[in-house]
Amino acid sequence: MVAGPISVPLEVYRYRPGVDRAPTYQRYTLDAAPHTPLLSLLLRIRAETDPTLSLRYSCRSSICGSCAMRINSRSRLACETPVGPEIERHGRIVVEPMASQPVVRDLVVDQSPFWQRYNAIEPHLKVDPRHPMPEGQPNPMTPAEVERFHDTPRCIACAACYSACPAVAADPAFPGPMALAKLYRFVVDPRDAAHQDRLVRIQTEGLWLCLRCHLCTEACPKNVRPSERIRDLKEMAIAAQGATEHGSRHAVGFKENLRTAGTLHESRLVRQTFGVAGMLGQLPQGLRIWRKKPEVLHRPKPIEGLEELEKIYDALDAQEKEGGR
Amino acid sequence: MKFAYYPGCVAKETGRELDMATRWVARALGIELVEFPKFACCGSGFVDEANEVLNVAINARNLAIAEAAGLDLLTICSTCQGMLTLAKLRMNDPVVRAKVDGALRPLGITYRGSSDVTHLLRVLVEKVGLPTIRARVKRPLTGMKVGAFYGCHLLRPADEMAWESPEEPHAFEDLLAVLGAEPVQYRGRVMCCGFPVQFVKPETAGRVAGQQILDAKQHGAHAMATPCPLCHISLDAYQGPAAKLVGQPLDMPIFHLPQVVALAFGATPEEIGLSRHLVPTAPALAKIVARP
Amino acid sequence: MLRHEVVVVGAGLAGQRAALAAVEAGRDVALLTKLHPLRSHSGAAQGGINAAVGAGDSVETHIFDTVKGSDYLGDQDAIEFFCREAGPTVVEMEHFGTIFSRADDGSLARRPFGGAHFPRTIYAADRTGLALLQALWERLGKEHFTLYAEWDVTSLIVRDGKLQGLVALDRTRGEFQEIAAKAVVLATGPAGRIYAKTTNAHSCTGDGIAVAYDAGAALKDMEFVQFHPTALLESSILITEGARGEGGLLKNASGERFMFRYAPNVQELASRDVVSRAIVTEVKEGRGFPGPYGGYVHLELMHLGKEKVESRLQEICDYARRFAGIDPVTEPIPVYPAQHYMMGGIGTDVHGATNVPGLFAAGEAACVSIHGANRLGGNSLLETLVFGREAGKAAAAFAATAPTPQVHDADLEGATAPLRAWSSRSDGEDPSALRAEMQRTMEECAGIYRNEAGLLEGIRRIRALRQRFANVRVVDRSTVFNLNLTDALETGHMLELAEVILVGAFARTESRGAHSRTDYPKRDDARWMRHTLARRSTDGPVLDYAPVGFTRFEPTERVY
Repeated sequence: MVAGPISVPLEVYRYRPGVDRAPTYQRYTLDAAPHTPLLSLLLRIRAETDPTLSLRYSCRSSICGSCAMRINSRSRLACETPVGPEIERHGRIVVEPMASQPVVRDLVVDQSPFWQRYNAIEPHLKVDPRHPMPEGQPNPMTPAEVERFHDTPRCIACAACYSACPAVAADPAFPGPMALAKLYRFVVDPRDAAHQDRLVRIQTEGLWLCLRCHLCTEACPKNVRPSERIRDLKEMAIAAQGATEHGSRHAVGFKENLRTAGTLHESRLVRQTFGVAGMLGQLPQGLRIWRKKPEVLHRPKPIEGLEELEKIYDALDAQEKEGGR
Repeated sequence: MKFAYYPGCVAKETGRELDMATRWVARALGIELVEFPKFACCGSGFVDEANEVLNVAINARNLAIAEAAGLDLLTICSTCQGMLTLAKLRMNDPVVRAKVDGALRPLGITYRGSSDVTHLLRVLVEKVGLPTIRARVKRPLTGMKVGAFYGCHLLRPADEMAWESPEEPHAFEDLLAVLGAEPVQYRGRVMCCGFPVQFVKPETAGRVAGQQILDAKQHGAHAMATPCPLCHISLDAYQGPAAKLVGQPLDMPIFHLPQVVALAFGATPEEIGLSRHLVPTAPALAKIVARP
Repeated sequence: MLRHEVVVVGAGLAGQRAALAAVEAGRDVALLTKLHPLRSHSGAAQGGINAAVGAGDSVETHIFDTVKGSDYLGDQDAIEFFCREAGPTVVEMEHFGTIFSRADDGSLARRPFGGAHFPRTIYAADRTGLALLQALWERLGKEHFTLYAEWDVTSLIVRDGKLQGLVALDRTRGEFQEIAAKAVVLATGPAGRIYAKTTNAHSCTGDGIAVAYDAGAALKDMEFVQFHPTALLESSILITEGARGEGGLLKNASGERFMFRYAPNVQELASRDVVSRAIVTEVKEGRGFPGPYGGYVHLELMHLGKEKVESRLQEICDYARRFAGIDPVTEPIPVYPAQHYMMGGIGTDVHGATNVPGLFAAGEAACVSIHGANRLGGNSLLETLVFGREAGKAAAAFAATAPTPQVHDADLEGATAPLRAWSSRSDGEDPSALRAEMQRTMEECAGIYRNEAGLLEGIRRIRALRQRFANVRVVDRSTVFNLNLTDALETGHMLELAEVILVGAFARTESRGAHSRTDYPKRDDARWMRHTLARRSTDGPVLDYAPVGFTRFEPTERVY
């Protein structure tokens, strides 16, 4: 359990907006046992060497979510990042503030965009006044219903997922993994009466901008697995409302498209997603592609055994109707 | 070495240069690729969004087809690899299994889970082995700096894909080094290419793609190489709009994984369909130091 | 100038519940907190919240267990009120959206906890605090109030003995601000960071307790400090009592379940002070495991099976793996007691009112007293909600008829001049060094076992540190997010409270609950069945005493 101390060179982002001309990376080197969390080292720096280093921290036990930062480019909690493996892999530890959130000072970021996106999904139970909660009694909820939440109740709002997400970085219209995982939590809550509304709304409010790259799931310290919950939301949204947005139209279109030949019919899919008018907008780029890759307009040869595929579609449709959703 | 060859939809059509290069490399290494005209599209992640169980069922059928021939599957697309692997894992869930079996049994199809699914990158690095590959290099790619671009579904979710580190992989860089190229380290190599939202919001897809290409460029890459033809579409075919969206010229050639291997093994550009790329690859090839 | 009718300081469970109550009563409410509300230490609570809702259980039994657990120092009238409110409080939180663990029949799952005759601890896996905090924040989010997040309270403004408002540091802008308020509720939690080994978060520096003390509020029973028996070795991260509730066993280096000797009836589920003393004794007498981080004992969960451990004790499984490199499914967890909870705090009545008109307190920062000399697990989460609500209601009622607060610029000047002086010194004491010495002193002199010589030594050392603190220096001259400044602020607060604890502990010549004197090992009801009250004076804390409220249970010997 206890190994001898190793030398840990750190390069820590320092910046005071409005005061410093530009960010710099300050070097510190400390000796520490390999299992020591990075947070402990940062606090040692503050106590022994440099009290001007600013960061957020509180519980040191990965429950408060304060100390999320980028550590050797990975968004994670400093309190549960042991220094040993980082030094083994990289020889040093580069410590930077989280991404997609403006820097307040050093490793402290302004989390208001993150909180705003969370608030935008209306994260509270919505009760139907016609079906009020049982007076003086808890709502019953079976263990199976609790299972449906998966690990979304474990979210500590640390924003590591938000920081890791390339869609958040590229598009302010994307709510981000945390807000969507929270939305999932309310959609599957049997006490919430607004499932349908929530699913309908989120389709137009960025659900389909998720790239399903799973970087959020990797970054999350609590196994919330936002990308998987987002996938669930997509399927539930389609079931609730059908294909109404580009994203849902594409997914449903793809599914239907596959049935026709068993393999992708590319140009048809573009039309299914965007409609004829939309396709025209894609025309210049489409032409450029066609010139190099004329197959883009090909009608693909159907796979052998296509009828098997069709029967699978039908069988599962029948199962669903029977079982109810 | 013999595999059930699962090329995926794109490699059969607009990405056929990937199929050309794959077959070239397989021939060179004595890997037998058995075709199965019954294979259906893996769903590309989109069918999974529409209906999780259907996605598993379609891929369970794909897996059963290879199983019946007693072969493991070889994929050449990160997304196909991801979808087929996920289907295998989901089939361990008794609820999903029951539903899928219910649809397959009437067709006389029995899924056993006995075939593995491996991507070409992994086959090259682990089954063929880097020393063998190094020995076959006729034209080292010395002088060419290449940024690997893995493609999300090859690595993540890491506990399901169960191969390389989700954020710090090195298999592709190891391969590039053995081919004589200089691998470029940059953050974007494990990020997303934007393809899944290309048909949802092209500007966002373009910004995401552009960001990764820019990152590679700023770290000195002459070219990028990817094991996923969907990433290739996003990074190559849609590089024009991406450059406009990030407001900078990119001019980054994008290779398919087997094209890089084939080049190092001595293939000509024609043999591996380089003229089909939208971004010209000649400037990258020109970086290769002339043989003494 | 900022003005609100009710300002709640501290945004954990007690503070948020108080704010909700005050908003529902129609007041203009502000919530001021040094952390974003979801980061409050309430979120670290693991094991559960008590309510006598199970068939076969009763409010009366809950009352008795709490009274006995308190070693008869708890005020029984307050405890009766508290236990009666438990059921409705838990239901309310469930209605707010808390996701509790459930029994197969859909009812709230319950687990046994130390000192309880009946399994009445309702839980959400082993993250009950987080579950409650999320649900309460989400419920509060529907209301209109002003949030001052990352503001540190520095002092209260009192005129003619009545509260007028407070002064706080806006961390983000680096500016001191005064806020006029008709009523203030302090719900700032504990001051565990006075000790070197504590389960508390770094933020737990007792700022609310200190500013109340400075403003003339009496602090009650501060000498009663609870040590949690099973804190992870080295980091002192909490391993919930729930682990023992689920069947975890404590063993010494001989593989013996030593709790049989200390608590023959309930063994591992004896109350916390009993188990903590047992572990310390085992190690002191050479039956513990040795190691570079000090001696320790084992908490074993392996026999419970992988499924149970990974589902009911998910978080601590993670903690053991991540912070101690131990897999509890296959290996024993190394544990040793650490400071965990403060039974003492700002003295209040059952409605949260202090002796300063307009000033209220709730949660761990307050002392009603429910827990007396020792708190039972599962009663703290309940306390935050019951008394958070009471204090919020009372503060709102007070504010409804209170006159306009008198707050002047001179108040801000006066309150902040000393703090600004810290930053203009060219030489002075390092707050981190003072803090470290204080923590060492408290470990050595005011730990689980105390004695006269040690306490006197502790008082001497803390007083010397306080003198040196007068010359503290802040070297960081930046305004924005200046943690050097907030460190100094917190250290000053903690030094004051450390002195109060030591003085109270020195005066109390008996052992009761968590307060163990090796020189006075017996409980002395005749002389010490009373609460300690500490008020600030220029010569240090002045002690006074108040009687314990009895209603039904005569004190008897406390055996588990």
